[in-house]
Amino acid sequence: MQMEAKTKAVSAILNAPAPHMVGDGFRVHNFFPKGYKIKMSPFFMLDYNSKIEFSARNEPRGVGVHPHRGFETVTIAYHGAVAHHDSAGNSGIIYPGDVQWMTAASGILHKEYHEEQFTKKGGAFQMVQLWVNLPAKYKMSTPKYQDVKHSDMAKYNLDNDGGVIEVIAGEYNGIKGSANTFSPLNLLNARLNKGGKAYFDFPEEYNTGFVIIEGSVKINGAETAKTDQFVHFKNEGSKIELEALENSVVLVLSGDPINEPIAQYGPFLMNTSEEIQQAISDYNQGKFGYLEE
Amino acid sequence: MTAILEPFKAYLQKKVAITDDQFNLISDKLKVKTFDKNEMILMKGEVLSNGFFVLNGLLRSYSIDSKGKTHIIQFAPEQWWLSERNGMFNEASEFFIDAIEPTTAITMNRDFMNDAAKHVPCMNDLNSTMLNNSIRFMQKRINMLLSATAEERYLNFIQLYPNLTLRVPQWMIASYLGITPESLSRVRKDLAHKHFRP
Repeated sequence: MQMEAKTKAVSAILNAPAPHMVGDGFRVHNFFPKGYKIKMSPFFMLDYNSKIEFSARNEPRGVGVHPHRGFETVTIAYHGAVAHHDSAGNSGIIYPGDVQWMTAASGILHKEYHEEQFTKKGGAFQMVQLWVNLPAKYKMSTPKYQDVKHSDMAKYNLDNDGGVIEVIAGEYNGIKGSANTFSPLNLLNARLNKGGKAYFDFPEEYNTGFVIIEGSVKINGAETAKTDQFVHFKNEGSKIELEALENSVVLVLSGDPINEPIAQYGPFLMNTSEEIQQAISDYNQGKFGYLEE
Repeated sequence: MTAILEPFKAYLQKKVAITDDQFNLISDKLKVKTFDKNEMILMKGEVLSNGFFVLNGLLRSYSIDSKGKTHIIQFAPEQWWLSERNGMFNEASEFFIDAIEPTTAITMNRDFMNDAAKHVPCMNDLNSTMLNNSIRFMQKRINMLLSATAEERYLNFIQLYPNLTLRVPQWMIASYLGITPESLSRVRKDLAHKHFRP
């Protein structure tokens, strides 16, 4: 007898919490950890800049030099463009559809600003920044970047012209994303046409959530969610059906939880408070390097 | 006693042998106040009749010179005291006080310590220890400002206030240290060149 795989049921459909500014360039809704107490490890933080219009000006808006240690920042652009620079001498621009996967690990300084042309023209701006935790044994590994350009992104075309699943990390129906991760996780952009359906199968223990970037969707043939909402799933069952009620974009997060102690202070995410003190001290003493404001 | 005063009681009990009952005797004279980010608490020329003990957040005292430049006298993060001593003599303040972050602080009237000592004698010891510490701190700070290099001032600052480098802009640290922001930037760059091992 074949066991029928169980549906992964929706645990809650969450509205975007009140926004706050990060620097003067990012107006973000923090879904977790402060906005909602939900289990999403290995994803530690989700800042969602819902779509807003920035007026044209000469001086770029953004966030000045700041450090990170112990995790990865993943920036996903939907509208607008962000330029970044870091203390290792890397720089680049994240355009709509692109993803920047920065492994801060042992420590990096960086700054993020609206890209020059976007600043001068102004316009719609919509982004996601995720903090992905690192297992203890990788927290002090060497920092690195993975740039995932939209044009190079691994894609799976859905049946019946349903749309496309872009695989940033992990996999979808055998299509693997190019970003390497330190623990098992899937990060996908589902770009669905109206009526398009996508089916997901994530292990029960994987913490799973959807950010509705655009449009409105029906989940498991029952609940509906619309733009700027977050769908959190239970740790039961594995199958999810996603149907677009109009042309929609959904960011899909699902990962194996990292079951290790967490100590966080500001931009540092470690396992113990001693490691946090060390991070602060190392930062103060210039061990993260230097980056001009 | 409300739960919000617990950290203050724990702080006192680390310093002197004050019992829970004794703390309850004096705690009704304490008030808890919250301040928004950037909220002005004291203007120059006003008389401040109370002191602050910061539970959460960050306060600062500062002056503004005739050219409009700000000079930060003191930062007060968690577990720090902040007061303006002209107020003890009912005289107008030379300084401003504001909240750099959303802040929760205990406020106490200028007579609090003397009154508390009438009920709880060990509060007298605490008061004189704190005054001595405060004078010692000021002496060191004067010496730093007169004689130390920018790097020495910065290294002293990160010992004293380890996490403020993550909480306040560079120009405020420079203002506290009595150096230019460019000079602070140079110090941090030199330290990075000495210590950064990619």
